[in-house]
Amino acid sequence: MGLPLPFQPSTPYPSTHPPTHSPMTILLKNILAIYQRELHSYFASPLPYMIAAIFWLLGGFFLVATLLGPQGILAQAAMADQAVQMGMPPAPPFDVAYEFNKGYVGLLGSLSLFVLPMLSMGLYADERKQGTLELLATSPVTNWAVALGKLLAVVSFYIAMVLPLMVCQAVALGAATPPTGSGVFLLSHLGLVLMAASILALGMFVSSLTESTVLAAIMTFALILLLWLVDAIAQGLPGVLGQGLGHLSLLKHFTDFTEGIFDTGGLVLFLSFIVLGLYLTAQSIETLRFQRS
Amino acid sequence: MIEVEHLSKTYGSTAAIQDITFGAQPGEILGFLGPNGAGKTTTMRILAGYLPASEGTARVAGYDVHTDSMAVRQRIGYLPESPPLYPDMTVQGFLNFVATIKGVPSDLRQKRADVAMDHCGLLDKRKVLIRKLSKGYRQRVGIAQAIIHDPPVIILDEPTVGLDPRQINEVRQLIKGLAGSHTIILSTHILPEVSMTCDRITIINRGQVVATDTPDNLTARLSGEAAYELEIKGDVDIAQRLLAELAPVRQVLLLGPEHLPEHHHRLRVSAEGDRTLGAVISTALVTAGLELHELRRQQATLEDVFLNLTTTEIATSPEPLVAEDAAEPPAT
Repeated sequence: MGLPLPFQPSTPYPSTHPPTHSPMTILLKNILAIYQRELHSYFASPLPYMIAAIFWLLGGFFLVATLLGPQGILAQAAMADQAVQMGMPPAPPFDVAYEFNKGYVGLLGSLSLFVLPMLSMGLYADERKQGTLELLATSPVTNWAVALGKLLAVVSFYIAMVLPLMVCQAVALGAATPPTGSGVFLLSHLGLVLMAASILALGMFVSSLTESTVLAAIMTFALILLLWLVDAIAQGLPGVLGQGLGHLSLLKHFTDFTEGIFDTGGLVLFLSFIVLGLYLTAQSIETLRFQRS
Repeated sequence: MIEVEHLSKTYGSTAAIQDITFGAQPGEILGFLGPNGAGKTTTMRILAGYLPASEGTARVAGYDVHTDSMAVRQRIGYLPESPPLYPDMTVQGFLNFVATIKGVPSDLRQKRADVAMDHCGLLDKRKVLIRKLSKGYRQRVGIAQAIIHDPPVIILDEPTVGLDPRQINEVRQLIKGLAGSHTIILSTHILPEVSMTCDRITIINRGQVVATDTPDNLTARLSGEAAYELEIKGDVDIAQRLLAELAPVRQVLLLGPEHLPEHHHRLRVSAEGDRTLGAVISTALVTAGLELHELRRQQATLEDVFLNLTTTEIATSPEPLVAEDAAEPPAT
């Protein structure tokens, strides 16, 4: 005990307690802290980089294929022109820029369905695995704030993934004559982000149920298949039932957005899915964490 | 500051803890001692509001941990069994994050992080990724995150696990330094830890409180009872009867004959604390014509108390300190 302890505090421990802020400020600060930490973790681990790389590779390939491929939109337009020159009756005219935007964002949506489970799988499963859920659950932060911060972070990351592809697409659309308006273009991407946010919210809930990221990814993917199935059934079913199911289908409303149709019902549906995901996540942390350990 | 009353927790059909009652006064260090699997972590988690109890109540700083969870969360610092760390953050970044979610105002955050790092000897590691820290340093970061917001109540679940002896000593000094202005409850299965740091000890075994007292009183409780071990040659039945007839003797046990020559027997005698008993025993045996080869008085330590309280021997003693269902074979 002769050695001086490196631990020996040089200052007495301050015993002042923090002044209290308004609950709203504290809530916002907590959400921001969770958001920053979550976003920070994407840059510190290799997986998100790989996911982004694959997304950009396939997204770029789809861009080229949709625009310039043998079945691409330009080839189709050229064939329609040729048909007219050969004296055939003219096919109904179509807006190349519009069709390109609709087809491409639709493809991005399908691609996202495969990528989103990988983004959401670790949101809570990793916290469970690292034991940090115990820190979050015993800190004066509501489960809502944690879930919202996390969702905002992962949606931000998704937007960061979509942005470069958006730029490429904007370049292609900029070359269109006559020039196209940006309304449909922006609306379709808004639809894309809203659909992604809905699925990420549900994926976050799935992630909060398990300690295994792989299991979370598989279960989220199964959930997406189910949603897709609902869409397929809705299209096949005649009458009121089919229509009702169709109103609940994420994919149908996403397609509406890509077609430039802004429907408040669609917006409400997406927001409902997001709130549902947040609610289920908060509830699952409140109740299900008790059954683990 | 901490009041636990009739707390029980069952997982499915197995009871982790049953009817636990104990408490800690403000500024006190309470040691929560028990063998592995005794229910220490479960109790800690209930106190921290991470697990709900099946029955009973727990109050921290006057707030019920279940119904006033948020109020309790604001007033506790909690180090779980495995330190909750984000491996991809630096020590400083992590502590700043914890300070934020614990509600430390932004202008105080840096200062608090510095003080916590100073107390835990982390100042030279502030820029290091937690992933690259050794287990001992991770444990220190775990302690730092529990004290960063200067909570009135600190709950430490096995704070010295994974540390080397020097670090253990440092952590003990740190904990002692926090006492007075903070109420601390720490769990451990290491005995010297509680006898050195704690003001009071609650010993639990198989989910039940076996004893609550100061370290000195607990030791005294056993040393009030003297134990002698002796080796004799001759008729062991006569010896046992003789010894049992002596006034202060409570119990005579025949120990195993391992490593003994033929006709030699080893006996253990427990009695009221009487330092002159040795002479009485030897006289009695020798007058009866038995050969006394060895006579040794045993000192009670806290370790004996612990072993006594957490193994089955106690169940056969005149004053059982454990409830009946603890009388199963001791866990090895």
